[in-house]
Amino acid sequence: MDDLRAINNDVESNATKISAKNVQVYYGDTHAIKDVNVEIKEHTVTAFIGPSGCGKSTFLRSINRMNDTIDICRVEGDIRIDGQDIYDRNIDPVQLRARVGMVFQKPNPFPKSIYDNIAYGPKIHGLAKTKADMDEIVEKSLRRGAIWNEVKDRLHAPGTGLSGGQQQRLCIARAIATEPDVLLMDEPCSALDPIATSQVEELIDQLRESYTVVIVTHSMQQAARVSQKTAFFHLGSLVEYGTTDDIFTNPKDSRTESYISGRIG
Amino acid sequence: MTTLAFAILLAACMVAYALNRRAATGIRDGGQRLHSVSGYHGLFALLMILVPVLVVILLWLVLQGTVVNTLVMSSLPDGTLDGLGKGQVDLILAEIQSIAGGRIFGEPEPWKIVAADRFTGLLQAASLGLVLVTVLLSLAIMLFARGKVSADFRARQGVEKIISGLMIFCSVVAVFTTVGIVASLAFETVKFLKLVPLTEFLFGTSWEPQIPIRADQVAAEGAFGWLPVIVGTIVITIVAIVIAIPIGLLSAIYLNEFAPKVVRSVCKPILEVLAGVPTVVYGFFAILVVAPAIRSLGAAWGIDVAPNTALAAGGVMGIMLVPFISSFADDALSAVPGSLRDGALALGATRAETVMNVLFPAAIPGIVGGVLLAVSRAIGETMIVVMAAGLMANLTLNPLESVTTVTVQIVTLLIGDTSFDNPKTLAAFALGMMLFIVTLIINIFALRIVRKYREAYD
Repeated sequence: MDDLRAINNDVESNATKISAKNVQVYYGDTHAIKDVNVEIKEHTVTAFIGPSGCGKSTFLRSINRMNDTIDICRVEGDIRIDGQDIYDRNIDPVQLRARVGMVFQKPNPFPKSIYDNIAYGPKIHGLAKTKADMDEIVEKSLRRGAIWNEVKDRLHAPGTGLSGGQQQRLCIARAIATEPDVLLMDEPCSALDPIATSQVEELIDQLRESYTVVIVTHSMQQAARVSQKTAFFHLGSLVEYGTTDDIFTNPKDSRTESYISGRIG
Repeated sequence: MTTLAFAILLAACMVAYALNRRAATGIRDGGQRLHSVSGYHGLFALLMILVPVLVVILLWLVLQGTVVNTLVMSSLPDGTLDGLGKGQVDLILAEIQSIAGGRIFGEPEPWKIVAADRFTGLLQAASLGLVLVTVLLSLAIMLFARGKVSADFRARQGVEKIISGLMIFCSVVAVFTTVGIVASLAFETVKFLKLVPLTEFLFGTSWEPQIPIRADQVAAEGAFGWLPVIVGTIVITIVAIVIAIPIGLLSAIYLNEFAPKVVRSVCKPILEVLAGVPTVVYGFFAILVVAPAIRSLGAAWGIDVAPNTALAAGGVMGIMLVPFISSFADDALSAVPGSLRDGALALGATRAETVMNVLFPAAIPGIVGGVLLAVSRAIGETMIVVMAAGLMANLTLNPLESVTTVTVQIVTLLIGDTSFDNPKTLAAFALGMMLFIVTLIINIFALRIVRKYREAYD
């Protein structure tokens, strides 16, 4: 854990991975995200916190254009990953989503075998030429998902037969398998028990080495445990953004302070 | 008078409900804690009256006629019925009844008029008795139920017991109806098999169900091999399914996954209208539009096409089945959790890939269920094939030829003046039995397949 803390202090030196400028999201007539500006650093875990309905998940879903799948949703403004505008007409959301993986609130393994769950992404993107390649990708992803040891003897058992925490790590491994740069996590632990939660949190900390992780969470303890940067959302606006230490120990905005100390939300 | 009995029953139920409810409320207001809320006390009284009295009234109505008839006939002067057959006795009874109803033909014997008067009197007494019994029974139960009301009385459990008894009765009725239908089929089939050997019926390749009407008539003996008939059914079913499955499935997938809201809101109701078209109308469509079109197409290509083809009947049947399959598939796809769809899309799968690899496998059980029902309907469908398929039993797999189906043969065998002691009529039951068995086997088989290959998503 000590060297992890050491990396913690290096946050400021990292390059910007995702930059959002004046982002507005509308659901029909509802203005769900108001004028959000944020720079998310590479190889960092960034936590989005805030009360329910504050728009943090909505904003997360606009980073991989999952909001496109909702008819009435409209995104305005500028979101760039590595300097590239992801809402550009030339960007194919399908390819974007292969680069920006997502893990959902409820574990959602496909009703297929563990192996097929992992292999699905690489298969549709043609990442493996041979069966051996695929086996390697599956093993590597499951190892990175910290679940290999638990499932290596039953790769062809259905993924839905795993426990909740295992399912969620399977979903993380599945997202990793397409070799994304960015991992978006939408309350990945809210459906898990404390032990499974701590396993997933440990995993998130490891993932930071290879990926840029953005996590939405309801639990402030979780944000404090896993993230280096924290953004506080309230009523669709980004209220405060800074290093996790600062947000939790020395919030500048009174709303952040109220939320952290449990007075709102 | 019967109406009056029902009215009394209804009134008694309402009064008993109100009485018990009020009594229970009174106890509660007196400061005691009721075991069951007062509504249940009322409901208990209502059901206690409704069920038994209704049973008594219905039994009374069913038995009344027989009892009155027996009484009238046994009161006739001694010796009147001696030496008469059953038919003649029935005739006398009918005459007495029509005299009682005021329809007098000629000059009836005086004893018949006496009997008719007696008949009328007995009927009046019976309906008066019915009303009387209803009143007394209702009152008695009402008093009994009223006496039951107390703080400790478990009215809710009582009501639940009566209701679950009613539900058991209803399911037993459904089961027994099925058993009865199968039994009646089996009974006639056995009779048929006494006249025609089972091997000839199962393996015979010729179906000519003519028999001589009179003993001295020179006619064919008739052949009862069911193979050409069932093969016709199978050919038409396959044609129908081959048309219905792709159209139905693809339209469901399009409407569920790709169609904009506007298109969906227009197309779904139209598809449902298709499901509401009577099969007779499909039959018209088949003989007036599809069959001639196929024939002229065939002529243009130099292919010999029969006027009544399996293709026309099966094709139209396929169109009939489209909304069936499509609505089942649509429901099954909608039932797949949205989180799976999101999961696949978030991996960078296209919509088509998501549907093919994730949603479709998860929806398979529901879809197969729909296809199965469609197959059963195609096999059992009668009107379209009666109109558009032929009557000639042709043992062929060529859909451009005229074939006949099991249902068509059943219809033609039973049309007209039939007696139930010759193989021609009984063959209809044997065919019905076989149809039942075939459908049953298909259902069992498919259920197995579904259970084996389903990808459960919860």
